[in-house]
Parts: sequence; structure tokens; C-alpha cells
Amino acid sequence: MKQHLTEGELRASLDGELVRDQLLHLESCPECQTRQRQIQAEYLRSAKRLAFLAPGNEPVPSVKTAWSRSPHHVLKQKETSMFKKFFAFPVVRAGAVAILALAMLMAFPTTRALASDLLNLFRVQQVAILPIDMSGMESLTGNEALGNKMSELMSNSTEITKEANEPVTVTNASEASAAAGFDVRLPKDMTASTILVSDSSAFTINIDRAKIQALLDEAGRSDLILSGTMDGAEISMNIPASVNTTFGTCPEFDAESSEFSGENPSGMNARYADCLVFGQIPSPIVQAPADVNMEELAQLALEFSGMSSEEAAALADTVDWTSTLVVPLPRDAATYSDVSVDGVTGSLIQSDSEYAPQFALLWVKDGVVYFISGSGADASRAFDLVNALP
Amino acid sequence: MGRTNSISMTKTGSPQSMIHSMKKEKTAPVGMSGTNLSQDEFESLFGKYWAHVYRILRRLVLDPVEAEDLALETFLRLYQRLPIEEQDFQLGGWLYRVATNLGLRSIRSFKRREHYEITAGNYALEDAPETRPTELLAQKEESVLARQALAQMSERQSQLLVLRYSGLSYKEIASALTLSPTSIGPLLLRAEREFEACYRALAQEEE
Repeated sequence: MKQHLTEGELRASLDGELVRDQLLHLESCPECQTRQRQIQAEYLRSAKRLAFLAPGNEPVPSVKTAWSRSPHHVLKQKETSMFKKFFAFPVVRAGAVAILALAMLMAFPTTRALASDLLNLFRVQQVAILPIDMSGMESLTGNEALGNKMSELMSNSTEITKEANEPVTVTNASEASAAAGFDVRLPKDMTASTILVSDSSAFTINIDRAKIQALLDEAGRSDLILSGTMDGAEISMNIPASVNTTFGTCPEFDAESSEFSGENPSGMNARYADCLVFGQIPSPIVQAPADVNMEELAQLALEFSGMSSEEAAALADTVDWTSTLVVPLPRDAATYSDVSVDGVTGSLIQSDSEYAPQFALLWVKDGVVYFISGSGADASRAFDLVNALP
Repeated sequence: MGRTNSISMTKTGSPQSMIHSMKKEKTAPVGMSGTNLSQDEFESLFGKYWAHVYRILRRLVLDPVEAEDLALETFLRLYQRLPIEEQDFQLGGWLYRVATNLGLRSIRSFKRREHYEITAGNYALEDAPETRPTELLAQKEESVLARQALAQMSERQSQLLVLRYSGLSYKEIASALTLSPTSIGPLLLRAEREFEACYRALAQEEE
């Protein structure tokens, strides 16, 4: 081989990656050897700076622990059936949905300090089911770049101010009340299978209008404009401890995802036919600056989900966003109706699926949000449980 | 996955062994034949590659909690991608590439640079307790600048550097990044020069 080696080949020579002909040439060519030394000096400088990348023996979290947090849990969420939705602890989940929706609209922290007397307080006093046409969201499915940006925005805009401890299992209502810090109600003459108390948590969300707007643009919704008054606003959310009680044979509760795991809905229905899940949690408390217009935020979220501007405005106007726990329900997924329960008006959601009917009953009383869910078409079991409450 | 995979990781968990495993899997596909991957199969895959993916992220971002989150995110991406029908899909290379990207993005997206520097400094201290303070300080500064320089570069160039300096051979890098093995030398040289330029610019900013 008579031709001199290229710079790239000389660089490769430093890693022992030359083919035989190239190597033979290098060994016999003083000119290439001189150039190799020059490149070697560059290489050594980079190698020193990048030495931290060299394989070491860093301790690795156990596979078992990692697996418990792994994507198979996310898989469950992706494939969430109506059953699982109903069996998930809905108050926390609905709260999380609302928070995530807000987080989509809010971003990086600012230095703006907000005096507490300027804040509005939001407490749940009632439940409203909001049928949502998810067509607008479906078109975004698979948009990985957008998903990444949303995740980044959410993680950067949310600061956890109180991390929840591991849930604890208790054996009766008084223990549950002591652990949860509120008067837990359990039905008389019904034996609970498990009583799980989840710890309280708190976090704040900050709004960066420009970043949210950029995200909306990325999603192809430049027509949606977030009001300038929201820029820099800081919203805090306190989620109290909650109690989750099961009756009968129920799927295992996954504390990390706040869901009950299990196989497909039809199988679960047969296997857990007598299962009832009863959840209760004092109203989460949201603090937001007085000039944050929740109705406007809600309208924007509704439009984002696929609703027309007029329809979203009309719907947003019907809900008192400062006192209502809004449960978004994809259209055609289930039916819902107002029902009288526990002396107040609540909501009964029923899935019509022939092979796996399910129901969920939600209501708010004395500042506590209650939820009962079960499988089957007959929701009377939920009302029997309510009637047995003290 | 567990049905055909008899290749185990080496005790050191080196990238080379990871790539080696990948190559074996190419000839004996493990849950990559385009059929749905069951949870059990995914778990087996997870167990096999977890340490490798975690370690490269740990070295990149330093923070063990962040590294763990990003490693999980890497597997989530894989899960979302399934089923994979490409005959020549290189599982290990794909995982490595995604993990590297996530790590670099994490460095870029640290909200406050000060926060990153403090974090990097703290973990550097934990990793090298026997090092003298002045040396440690210098190492910390270099390590922070180097990571920031990597994060500033183009995705492909920083990936190339991360994979090479993590110990992968040219053939393995070529496989992971779908490049020709003969192009790695020139690309590497170019990436190192770009890295040096970024590093120096950042160092000047610091002064």
C-alpha cells in the first residue's frame, strides 16, 4: 500500500482498528508516523477529558427494585381498561389527571413570590363527569418529540414539596383514622379484605407561558392562546392521606401506580366478581394566584382535547372549577348519571361492555371525596355499602 | 425472550459484553421477531440489560437517581416500540443509543447550571473520597465542562464519543449507530475536535 493514510485512518490506528495493509504502510512510512503522533496528541487530550466515561464498577440498583418501577407498570396504564380505571383509586388519579392537565399548561419556576392573601383556594365540594371527545388527543399519539417536550416541561415545572411515604396497611377504621388524619368511615357488618392508607403529598407547579405556547405550537394548535396573566403563576397542590379499602377478592393494589393490577377485563370480572373497592380522601387543596382563571384553563384543555371553541366555552361555563372534582370520561366509553347517595348528589358511571361491565360511584360529603367501584352490571352492591356506612 | 437467550453478561458488565450479547441475539432473536412481546419476555430482557443501561447513564449524569429514572425511560421507549419487525434490529445498540441520548438531554435540561455543578461535584466527591481536594476540584471542573461540552454537540457526534469512550469497538459503534465501520475513524476524529472546541469555549466562559 503506497498511498498515505488519511487522518481518519490514523485516528483509527490509535484504537488498533486498521486493516493489515494500512498497518503495514504505517509501520514503514515516517510521514504517516509523524502525522499519527500529531493526531495522538489530540486524542490523548480528549481521552483525558472523557475518562469519566470509562467502564467502572458503579453500584447498580437491583434488577428487582428497578423492575418494580419498570415500564411494565406503564404498560398497564397504557392498556388501562374501564375496569382498571374504575378500580384505580380515582380521587388521587382524577386529581393527578387535573394536575397533569395543568402541568401541560404550566412550566418553569419564576422568582415571583406570591403572598398567601393573594391566593385562591380550591377545595372539592362536588363531582362532575365531563364527557370528552378524545379525537384531538389521539392525533398526537405516537408524536414522540412532543411527548418528550411535555415530559420535560412537566418535570421542570413541578416541584415536589412533600414526598409521600410508603402506604401502610391497617386493620380497622380507628387505625385508619389515626394513620390518615381524618375520620375514616367503613361499613358496619362488612369485613374488609385490606385497608391501605396512602400518605399525603404536596407539590407546586409554575407557569411559563412562552414554553406552553411553544408546546401548543408543536402540537399543531397555534390557535390556542394562553392568557398573559398566567405567566409566572405558581400553583400549589396538597393531596391529603387517603384510605383504600377492598372487600371480597380483589386484584393486588400497586401502591406505586395507585392501581389494581390484573389481567384482561373479562378475566378479571369473572375472577373478582365479588370485589368492591372503597376509597376516601379529604379534598385536595389547590392554591393559585387570584388572577389564574381556571375556567380559561379548562376551556383551553377542552379545546386541546378536540372540542370546538364554542362547545368548550359552553361546557367550561357550566362547571364551577374552584370546587368541582372533574372526572373526564371519554365519550362512548361509559354512561353516567346523577344519583342520590349518602344524603348528597353523586355520580354513577357504568361501562356498557357486554363482556366486562363495571361501575363506579363517586360523591363528596363533608369535604371528603368517596369512591366505590366494582365489576358487573349491578351497581346496587355499591349502594348497599353506602347504606352500611356510619 | 428467555426461550432462546443463553448469553449471559460478564461480571464486569462491560459495554463490550453487552454488544456481544446483542450480536448473539441478532442470530437468535429474542422476542424481536415481530410478534407481541409478553411481560415475562420483557422482564427477562429488562433483567439482562438493566445494569448496562444504568451504568452508562450513571457515568453520564452522575446522579444515581436521575440515572435510574433515565434507565427506566430507556426501557419504556423500548416497550413502546414493540413489537419490532425489522430483521436486523440491534437491540443492545438501540438501548445504548437511546440511553446515551436521554443522558445527554438530561445534562442539557438541567434547570440551573449551578444545580448540575453542585450535583456533579457531590457525586464526584463520593466516587473519589481518597483524592486530594485540589485534584478533586480540578477533576470536578473538568468533568462538568466535559459533560456540558458533550451536551452541546450534535447528537450523533456526542453519541459517538460516549460509545467509544465507554469502550465499544468500531464495529460495535457502527452497529449501534448504523454507520459503516470504516467511517468511524474519521467521524471520531471530527467529533473529538468538535468536543475540544466546545470544551475550550466553555472553559473560557468560566474564566
